Amino acid sequence: MRDLKHLIYFENLLQEANNDLVKQAKSEGKLALGYTCYFMPEVLLDLPGCFSVRLRAPRCTSPDMATYYMSGRTCHYGRSLMERALEGGFNFLDAQLATETCTVTCRFQEHLRQKHLDSVDDMQIIQNDHFQCEFTDVPFKKNENSIQHYQEQLQAHVLDFLHNNYGVDTSDDAILKSIEAHNEVCRLINEIGDYRKLDNPTITGYEFAVITLVSMACPKYLIIDKLRETAEELKTREPDSKPQYRCKVVLTGSENDDPDFTKLIESCGALVVCDRYCYGAAEARIPIEIREGESPLRAIARHYLLTSQCTRFMEQAEMRSRKQRIADLAKEYHADGIIVASNKFCEYWSYERVIDTIVLHRDFGYPVCSIEKEYINSASGQLRTRFQAFVESVEIKKLQEGK
Amino acid sequence: MAKFNFKMPEFKKPELKKPLLPKDKDYKKLAHDFWYGKPHGERRLGDLYCDKTGLYKHREWRGVKDTFYYFHMVWLYGYANMVMDINKYGGLPTFLKGVWRYRWLGQTYLTVMHWYDRGFEGLRGEALRACPWHYRGMTNATIYQFMQMLRNDLKTNPDSSKVKARHDKTMAHDETVWGGIFYPFSKELENVPLQMIPYFVTCHVNNHTVLNYIDAIQSIGLPGDPCPMCQAEAGIFVQDDVPDYYKAVITSNEACDGSVATSVIQDWLIDKPLFAMPQPMLFDDPLVQKHCQKEIEDAWKFIEEQTGVPFDWDQLVKKLESQNELQRFEWEKWDVAGKTSYYPINGVSQALYRIYQSQYGDLPIWHFVDKKVSKILNRCVENKINSYPLTRHRVIAWSCAPLYYSNWCTWAYNCWGLNCIINMDSLMFDMTIRTDSYEHTLEDMATYHEWAPMRRMAVGGMHHIFELWENMERFNCDMVMMYDQLQCKGMQGVHGLFEDEFRKRNIHAIWMPHALPDKRTVSRAEIRRIINDYMTTVMHEEPLDPSLLDFDDSMGW
Repeated sequence: MRDLKHLIYFENLLQEANNDLVKQAKSEGKLALGYTCYFMPEVLLDLPGCFSVRLRAPRCTSPDMATYYMSGRTCHYGRSLMERALEGGFNFLDAQLATETCTVTCRFQEHLRQKHLDSVDDMQIIQNDHFQCEFTDVPFKKNENSIQHYQEQLQAHVLDFLHNNYGVDTSDDAILKSIEAHNEVCRLINEIGDYRKLDNPTITGYEFAVITLVSMACPKYLIIDKLRETAEELKTREPDSKPQYRCKVVLTGSENDDPDFTKLIESCGALVVCDRYCYGAAEARIPIEIREGESPLRAIARHYLLTSQCTRFMEQAEMRSRKQRIADLAKEYHADGIIVASNKFCEYWSYERVIDTIVLHRDFGYPVCSIEKEYINSASGQLRTRFQAFVESVEIKKLQEGK
Repeated sequence: MAKFNFKMPEFKKPELKKPLLPKDKDYKKLAHDFWYGKPHGERRLGDLYCDKTGLYKHREWRGVKDTFYYFHMVWLYGYANMVMDINKYGGLPTFLKGVWRYRWLGQTYLTVMHWYDRGFEGLRGEALRACPWHYRGMTNATIYQFMQMLRNDLKTNPDSSKVKARHDKTMAHDETVWGGIFYPFSKELENVPLQMIPYFVTCHVNNHTVLNYIDAIQSIGLPGDPCPMCQAEAGIFVQDDVPDYYKAVITSNEACDGSVATSVIQDWLIDKPLFAMPQPMLFDDPLVQKHCQKEIEDAWKFIEEQTGVPFDWDQLVKKLESQNELQRFEWEKWDVAGKTSYYPINGVSQALYRIYQSQYGDLPIWHFVDKKVSKILNRCVENKINSYPLTRHRVIAWSCAPLYYSNWCTWAYNCWGLNCIINMDSLMFDMTIRTDSYEHTLEDMATYHEWAPMRRMAVGGMHHIFELWENMERFNCDMVMMYDQLQCKGMQGVHGLFEDEFRKRNIHAIWMPHALPDKRTVSRAEIRRIINDYMTTVMHEEPLDPSLLDFDDSMGW
């Protein structure tokens, strides 16, 4: 396929958190608001005068300083963020909107926070005078009680925090505007992503991962034109006459903001047609709908809680329906198999991966490749071998089924 | 070819004329040692162990009075009560069926008294009276619970309608769900934690048992790095080694991500109605309380729906008041522990009894034990009896403890004079619960639940875990035994800050690496070696009992 016009530009933007567009938005006087988790609604961090940055630590392969503070036995993602922060890579942040949703990212954000305690010294990691870090409590269920609770938390720890400390306009009108802009980005990403549903997709999983990440790591108002152009470009993009892949897969699992991981999978012959993981688009780019009688904040709280497929949800029905959701995505995107990838030391996904591996194969009939990975993986020969073997097994299965 | 040069070692002729006891032997001292036991420093407790198993070659001689007290009032009394408890709570046939069916029961019942021995090594006088009462309480509560499991178990009694009727009036819950949640139904309903006995208690008694469960969960694909406690809890279900004694389950997000994740596997394997009763993470935030209270109320509705047992407010109040009594006595104990040197309870008894009692909730045995201990405590204070006279350092143990070596503190006192006064888990449920109105009760119950073990200090902000300093002051401690649970992400995530603070505050802290129930990661001997190294190289101290420095108990229970 012909290269996408803006792909290299997008790739360059992902080389560091404080990229050119972030710098531009900062120079325009906008507040840079960091977050790590889907449970911190990015739409609220994109209110007028602000922009959201989902934190990443690209190319961080050796988090030595962070390992002193967080030991070598915690998730590489959380440690890499800590390392990048200690290196000064997040000094552009004006605030961090934190959640205690998984232990290691929580600890990372607690390190950033100015605690003003006698019991422990502040680390002064973010060299930015007006930097503050605020935590939001996120419920573990999707019932009405939880939506109500989540809404109150977002009001107190996001909206009131931004308004009282930074003078951000948090009125309903401002939130509505932000939802509108957010939904436009979602529409474009979904439009781009839908080409993966074609029999012969006109976009690769790697390209889509780059585009999705750019929409999370850059100010949306500065990237949206390029997204529009890309969507337009894809309308006429011709697929390769002979497909470059041997099977299609859904990639699901824990945190993954490394497009090179998707590239690694695709280099082994499996086209990633759907991304159901933290930092993926499957849930993050579902447009927010405001129902009749709902306030914009209530709609946001409901939306983020109900759309999330996070493994920390504990209701019985929810624990079971997560498998159905992955199987449904596999069907929708015509996938031949499923890759379940969990980050090493991720408690949630270590268990979820075990169950997914058993249930998706046993109850839904999909071949499953279950792997444990690091935050940065591009050079992993072991993973390559695993993926190659998986692709071969899927091919054999297809041959046996006469496809 | 080089000539093989072998020299026989010189044979040393035995001195047959030498008397068995030297002439200069102090017979008066021998008689004194016989009557009162050898003083600390001369006991050489390590010489009592059989190599590898840690079993005793012979019982420790503690002097006439204490040896006989221990033999009759701890050993015989303990065994007799273990048999009587079985009969009282369900009968021998039920118990034997359970022993045959569930490996954790068969492997741990007969090793109980050795668990006592490990905890009470070297104790004398009032300490030898106070500590065993704590163990007696835990033993009774354990038998009570597993007999509840067994007599309501459909796996071992598949055709009994009586068992089925009891089964349908029994709720299971995650061990981290406080038993108090079931107080309002306790007249008609039984509640038993799922993992408390099969995994948690048994691990203390016989640490080999749990390894099988960890291997079981890893055999279906779980990596080795998640919390091994959660691994074991999931492994029990993989092995189908939990009795089917319950109609439905209440689970919780306590204490950590691993616990949440375990619920997923448990749900698939249990396949019964399940209610998740999560607690908020940021529990200091006043905004989270209503949410938490509502979840408790929803749990009560779930129990009513599942079992048909109605909510009984009067019963709730009665049980809470009874539990409050236990808490008030615990405060008395802490007061003595913190302000005097007359506290007779050793580190392991304090830690295990407190976590067990406060997590499970009110039981008659706790009151019985507390009455006994109260008398001993008063005697110690009134008569100024220091049960640990060779204390060199008053130690606070912080973070979560190695389950397979909870009696490290007994060893540390005997070997080095490190007296573990208090531990983090003991300080969790530090409150009584108001019963003057429904609102106050619900409010306090929510808070109580939020302050669960391994959670009160571990989540909700870093300031909680650094309450260490104020507790050091409160309990007058000069040293920290910093448990380093290698697979606890929450504690690993603050490792460096603790290092910084220890240095800044000039506090002696020994990092004790361990893997909760899994002794294969860091053995008991390795733990001892780390403490030995710190005491010699950093503290420059000599051991009180050198025979305890190095021994092999790798096969020990």
